[in-house]
Amino acid sequence: MNNTLLELKNISYKYENNLILNKVNLKINSGEKIALLGKSGSGKTTLISVLNGTIKPTQGEVKLFNKSFEELDRKQKSKITTIWQDLRLIEDLSAEQNVNCGLLAEKSLYFAFKNLLNISSFKQAHKYMKLCRLHNSIYDKKIRKLSGGQKQRVAIARSLIQATNILLADEPFNNLDPKLISTIKKLLLENIDKNNIKSPKATLVALHRLDLLNDFDKVIGIRDGKIFFNIEKTKLKKFHLDKIY
Amino acid sequence: MFNKLKLNYISISFLPILVCIPLGCQLITNLHFEGFDLFKEFFISAFNPKIDDEIIISVINRLNETILISFFSWLVSIIFGVIFGILSSNIFYKIFNIPIFLNSIIRFFLTIIRSIHEVVWGILLMQIYGINYSIGIIAICIPYIAVNSKVFAEQLETIDYKSFESINQINAPKFSSLLTLIWNPIINTFKNFGLYRLECSIRSTVILGLFGIGGIGTSIFLSFQTLNFRELWTYLWSLAILIILSGLIFKKINFNNTNKIQSIFFIAVFFITILLSIPYFLYFVFNNNFENFNSVSTLFKSSSDLGLFDFLKLILETIILSLLSTGIAIGLPPLVIGIFNSNTSKILIRIFAFLLRLIPTPVMLLILLTFNNPSLSLAALTLGLHNAGITSKLLFTNLDSQDKRNYIAMKSLGISKKTSWLLGLFSQQAKSYLAYCAYRSDIIIRETAIVGVIGSVGLGWQLQESLSSFAWQEVTTVLLAYSSIAIIGELINGKIKDGLT
Repeated sequence: MNNTLLELKNISYKYENNLILNKVNLKINSGEKIALLGKSGSGKTTLISVLNGTIKPTQGEVKLFNKSFEELDRKQKSKITTIWQDLRLIEDLSAEQNVNCGLLAEKSLYFAFKNLLNISSFKQAHKYMKLCRLHNSIYDKKIRKLSGGQKQRVAIARSLIQATNILLADEPFNNLDPKLISTIKKLLLENIDKNNIKSPKATLVALHRLDLLNDFDKVIGIRDGKIFFNIEKTKLKKFHLDKIY
Repeated sequence: MFNKLKLNYISISFLPILVCIPLGCQLITNLHFEGFDLFKEFFISAFNPKIDDEIIISVINRLNETILISFFSWLVSIIFGVIFGILSSNIFYKIFNIPIFLNSIIRFFLTIIRSIHEVVWGILLMQIYGINYSIGIIAICIPYIAVNSKVFAEQLETIDYKSFESINQINAPKFSSLLTLIWNPIINTFKNFGLYRLECSIRSTVILGLFGIGGIGTSIFLSFQTLNFRELWTYLWSLAILIILSGLIFKKINFNNTNKIQSIFFIAVFFITILLSIPYFLYFVFNNNFENFNSVSTLFKSSSDLGLFDFLKLILETIILSLLSTGIAIGLPPLVIGIFNSNTSKILIRIFAFLLRLIPTPVMLLILLTFNNPSLSLAALTLGLHNAGITSKLLFTNLDSQDKRNYIAMKSLGISKKTSWLLGLFSQQAKSYLAYCAYRSDIIIRETAIVGVIGSVGLGWQLQESLSSFAWQEVTTVLLAYSSIAIIGELINGKIKDGLT
């Protein structure tokens, strides 16, 4: 049964007179693993920003759990998480503090205080960091001292700890070696509760590399802000890709 | 090859010293030798301060008062500086979705408050409430809160917008998001800036002491008035020890500590200070000589004898005083360090710069008056030298921490030591040095009030006169003029600083 979690209805977004998204319609249902394909500058990041509510569309409607963003309370809005292409970690905080930030939505101000003072429990954060194959020697290191790949995995751990319903990821496999890609892909896409880790109910991942498409069950192609195809992965043909690349 | 831009920054750093030409001409004309013996005695006494039981007890008592006033004014001004810094930063309004115009109102209010020097606040409050220690704390706190809030707000503006978006997207409670974003910029600013502000607070306490508030400043002034220079130097050296010790203690404290008890202690200090200082301030305002407070209500009623021409002349004097002092403060340190850049010279310059910072400007001015007639140039020289002591400290710190490979490479090519210093070391620092000097010139404009009072120059002198004769309308006019000059100066310097950073 298709249970729609997130829906875009006729979305357009203009920035400085440039039409970045053009009448986009999209549904993300529970259990779906969607790959978003498109060239650089095709509108993938903007689409993700509209989906998570960071930017308001110029036209159209975004519905999360069948309600518009304005109707949702803070807790409901926090059921959507994003792994940004530029990671957006807080450079001055340590890796474990950054991962703990993913818990801020469900915890109190006291927790935020303790996290900053380094006196909160990092047990949960460490569990997710370990799953992302981060070595314990970097747990208390400041973000600015980490390598690109380590930062990438910290950002992924922060999103996973949020235990959200929808996970949006913008090029999450950048900076990772093939072995790590396989591990992280499993974490993002396997909708199973393993080791008390709650995987997201639906995942949308923006990708460049076509060899990473296995494990996804749906593929969306975007070009010049317009969705060219939204099909099951098994139906993806070369001419589909020719349309967007 | 060095690009044109760097050479321009270098020349801009040295050019202001040209103010010494007109200034020197006037100083030479005003030279007299009647007080030369006094100056000699003052100088020799530095190496032979008075040390006996009586003065040691006096030093301890006076230092206690100084520490009390400066520490509490520092603590309160830092804590409220953080609060107002957050309230005047854009990040607060973004997180809470509050209209941004409120930010502009708070910023404008703080700009007016910090445009008036703590000495002016002190003199004004003394006229209303009489002399007590609370005046010292409050007079320092008022402008310091505004100055600190500006520094904290500027640091909060550097928060990466993407970090904000990321935290915002987690949809955490607003206060948790705010706290997570601002925590480190605030702690880092406190670590970099807190000690400097503590030093400033000690210096301000001393200066207010010269005007009778209490503490070691009062003893320094009394020793000077009785020409007891040995005693004066005992107070000055003990003040030096206090400044050095406070620096060492501050550096010893680890603010990054993960110790739970220490963290709770810092947080407790933060909240207890807020809880106690507000009622204390209100109690002070409404229960302390409240009858005198009514005299302020006549602020706009009393008449003024100050003519427009005289008033404009005073404003012009204040502006010229600021410009000349700024010229010395900017140009002197690189010139002296550049010319005398052997290791021994550097140590001597550091000691001299420390003494320039240590001796309060009014005392320095009075010393210089022993062999020069009062004039605008003398006041400018005093203020310029004191601030050159501060700018040279910054320049030394930056030069010490700079990568010296260029300098060494140039020297190895046979280029002279002075040229290598100029092009290999100073050229890298000139831009940031000028940016700091732009900020410093804001302070110089405010400090013209202090030397003005002593040196019969500018609006500072008029303020003292008007206050002594309870001419409240004149006081208001002078304060407004002061405020306007300081605000315009701050705007101009802000533009210069933006262009440099």
